[in-house]
Amino acid sequence: MDAHKVDMFVMANGKYFESHVVPNIRDTLLEMDDSNWAAIQTLQFKDPTICLVISLIGGSLGIDRFFIGDTGLGIAKLLTCGGLGIWGIVDWFLIMAATREKNVEKLEQAL
Amino acid sequence: MSISPKKLYQFLLIACFAGYSWLLYSLFNQQADSSTIEVCLIKRATNVPCPSCGTTRSVLSLINGDPLQSLYTNPFGILIAGFMLIIPIWILIDYVKNEKTLLNYYTRTINLLNKPFIAIPMMILVLLNWIWNITKGL
Repeated sequence: MDAHKVDMFVMANGKYFESHVVPNIRDTLLEMDDSNWAAIQTLQFKDPTICLVISLIGGSLGIDRFFIGDTGLGIAKLLTCGGLGIWGIVDWFLIMAATREKNVEKLEQAL
Repeated sequence: MSISPKKLYQFLLIACFAGYSWLLYSLFNQQADSSTIEVCLIKRATNVPCPSCGTTRSVLSLINGDPLQSLYTNPFGILIAGFMLIIPIWILIDYVKNEKTLLNYYTRTINLLNKPFIAIPMMILVLLNWIWNITKGL
């Protein structure tokens, strides 16, 4: 794919991924065919900051986990009052990384 | 949704272990005196019970042989008691037989729960349970 397009994508969406995978994503995109560009451009990623806000407000109901698509963990969190309150607090620190991981998974599925 | 079997089984075992530890603690605390510490963040912050408040009390009344009281306190308690009983045995059977039936079942259930026509009634049920919890004043 055209380097200009790839750089544009990385610049616009870099914040949605873990920083250490961004170079790999760039390399993969550069090697890809131009026909995939439209599909990749229309992907919607979850914003880690929004997830953190949701986690702070509705974390002990598991809403943050439901939001990023971890339905199983969301149910576990909901049924246990946010893991007796402890998991809820731990997730304030983990949810941003978890969101970025989910975004990478989503991109990998589309590639 | 992709999760490795090892990760899922580890998570479930740790969750069950934590559940049993908490239950044991509550059981001894219940005999010593009636006041147990409140761990729910929402209840501590706002004094309003969350949808799963009263689950421990519900499981405890189930242990004391009072399923009706358990259902009245919080129906989630019966659900959790069921999970805590079944999941360790299921994992053990999977481990002995070297199969992944729990993982397959989990993936199928989650895929089903992600469908709006199942998810929305479930959400309504949780909300109704929440309203019931607030009116009961747990």
